[in-house]
Amino acid sequence: MTGTSGFSRRTLLGATLASPVVLRHALGDEPIKIGMPCALTGPGGEVGEQMRRGAEFWIKFVNAKGGLLGRPIKLYAQDTGGDPATAVRKAQDVVERDGCRLLFGMTLSSEALAVVPKLAEWNAIFMSSDNGDGRLTGESFVPNFFRANTSGPMGTRAVALYLRQADFKNFYAIGMDYAWGRNSIGVFKDEVKKSGKNFIADVYSPIGTKDFSTYITKIRQSGADACYIVMQGDDNNAFLSQARQYRLGDKVQLLTEIVDLNSIHAVGDAAIGLIGGSRYTFTFPGEANAQFVAAWKKEYGNVPDVFEGEQWQACQVLQAGIEKAGGIDADKLRPALETVEIDSIKGRVTMRACDHQGVQKGFMVKVVQKEGFKEPIPDLIATFPADQVTPACRQMTYDS
Amino acid sequence: MDFLPFLVTQCLNALSQAALLFFLGCGLTLIFGIMRIVNFAHGAFFMLGAYVGYSTVHWTGNFWAALIVAPILVGAFGAAFELGILRQLYGRDGHAFLMVTFGLTLIMGEVIRLIWGVEALQVKPPDSLSDIVFILDEPFPVYRLFLVGAGIVVAVVIWQFLERTRLGLLIRATSQNAEMVHALGTDVRLVRSAVFGIGCGLAGIGGVMAAPLVTASLGMAPNAVIDTFVIVIIGGMGSFLGSLIGAVLVAFVQVFGTYYFPDFALAFMYLIMVTVLVVRPGGLLGKEA
Repeated sequence: MTGTSGFSRRTLLGATLASPVVLRHALGDEPIKIGMPCALTGPGGEVGEQMRRGAEFWIKFVNAKGGLLGRPIKLYAQDTGGDPATAVRKAQDVVERDGCRLLFGMTLSSEALAVVPKLAEWNAIFMSSDNGDGRLTGESFVPNFFRANTSGPMGTRAVALYLRQADFKNFYAIGMDYAWGRNSIGVFKDEVKKSGKNFIADVYSPIGTKDFSTYITKIRQSGADACYIVMQGDDNNAFLSQARQYRLGDKVQLLTEIVDLNSIHAVGDAAIGLIGGSRYTFTFPGEANAQFVAAWKKEYGNVPDVFEGEQWQACQVLQAGIEKAGGIDADKLRPALETVEIDSIKGRVTMRACDHQGVQKGFMVKVVQKEGFKEPIPDLIATFPADQVTPACRQMTYDS
Repeated sequence: MDFLPFLVTQCLNALSQAALLFFLGCGLTLIFGIMRIVNFAHGAFFMLGAYVGYSTVHWTGNFWAALIVAPILVGAFGAAFELGILRQLYGRDGHAFLMVTFGLTLIMGEVIRLIWGVEALQVKPPDSLSDIVFILDEPFPVYRLFLVGAGIVVAVVIWQFLERTRLGLLIRATSQNAEMVHALGTDVRLVRSAVFGIGCGLAGIGGVMAAPLVTASLGMAPNAVIDTFVIVIIGGMGSFLGSLIGAVLVAFVQVFGTYYFPDFALAFMYLIMVTVLVVRPGGLLGKEA
């Protein structure tokens, strides 16, 4: 009995001594779980796929280097079909079932707006990489939401700043009939009026519109010399293809909030001449971008598109925050993220505490056919400083 | 733009839209007329047509080839589906067909995603159709005129086929009294397979024709299936002429409605449907009215 008890005491002692080590080791292997409910099918499917690819690329990159804080990262991607109610349900799934306390995704702004009110209850941080709606860092702001990407108002602002120096006088606008479209055109309208030019009218097409002939007729008839397009995915492709068939570009300069490679690929020559804002393009200057593009090409055999770049930047911001906080606990991560400042593929990005918007530069590109490229590519034509592009805290409009 | 050129170009726009809607609606209504089943997968066959069209243009460089290959392949696939799966279900009630055809939509969507990827694909019309013509000094795409022409040709061909050929006769007879046709010594099952194949083939043509306007994309199926149902309900389930009238009506109201009241663009189609259902619950030319 004595022997046994001595043995057990020693075992107990050993176990006590060893336990922190064991515990720390176990924690070290505990993956950092990131939930990613995003639209992989439906009208936002292409964008959602890009976001997922961007996140997967980053995770592969980080895990190959031994993980983040020594912990591997694990992604829980879910398809929302672009539906806000489904987005909430899938987000709840990854949080409650899979135990994620970090969220990416929510491809459409309508999905993000539906999810953000729940973040506090879930004690989860949501790092947006593509949501455009200005309200997310304005009236709908919640402390657990961060936006690393260029917002809709910021994209539009870059376009507006460009217009001040361009020759166009009469503007028309067409947008997809949902949060992002209406929000962006509202900002654009403001900007046109402020620059002393004439805004003729705006029109909104229901999501999933296939025939744009009537809208194209309206634009032609308006007498506008430039038309601002706020569209995405299938709708954007359909509009540009049909606009080309009606030779709309001969009469009206087409401007857009976002130029992306997917739609250039989908519509081919119909994209040539399009001028637009760019949240990210592989042709951006800088060493960081050159390295990213080279690594991406090696992995996927093609160049990264807008939301793949934006997702990468969002991942870099999150990574910097987690490294600074030393963990993913929301109460520690939040203040850490509020002061993150990194040199990203788009240049300097500074997260600000007041509304959690990433302060960053604005870019304008024109779609051109260049030698050495099979398809037309976006070419950088203007860059605007971050302080001119980013709105005041919790604002979606600009004073000057 | 003066009123006359506006009116003419808008009418042509509406007719080109009607042609695309007709390819879809006519196939669906034929299938319903014969088989009394609602083919939920119709949009998926339309989408498959667009993707097969893309690949045909990609490999042969010839849009005309796509217009032949796509309906044949899609039609054959439809007929095979009827033979292999739907045929097992004829004893059951309508729910079984809804479930199976809806399931097929999901499977086809996923398979297309695996084969062709998520990115939208460009289908270029041939150069001869990519040009514009001036109609009363207004530029108008030749491709849209081609759609109008194709719509008329297909409508006439199907009408003649239903009225003048033996198979057309059998189809009409089967839709009126399948048991009697069967008793008279015709294999009704073959007629069903043929009709399902033809209906799907028409959706396939529609897919190829729509592709240069909207690109081939995964969003095509759900969008198309709703429009198609609305047209068929307006025209009357099972009525060929009804689907033609439904398509033209929806297209015109859509084009002019969107022009004058863009905020209600989405509502027009349903507004016509509701009106028709209230006045004639079986559809304009429906039998159950």
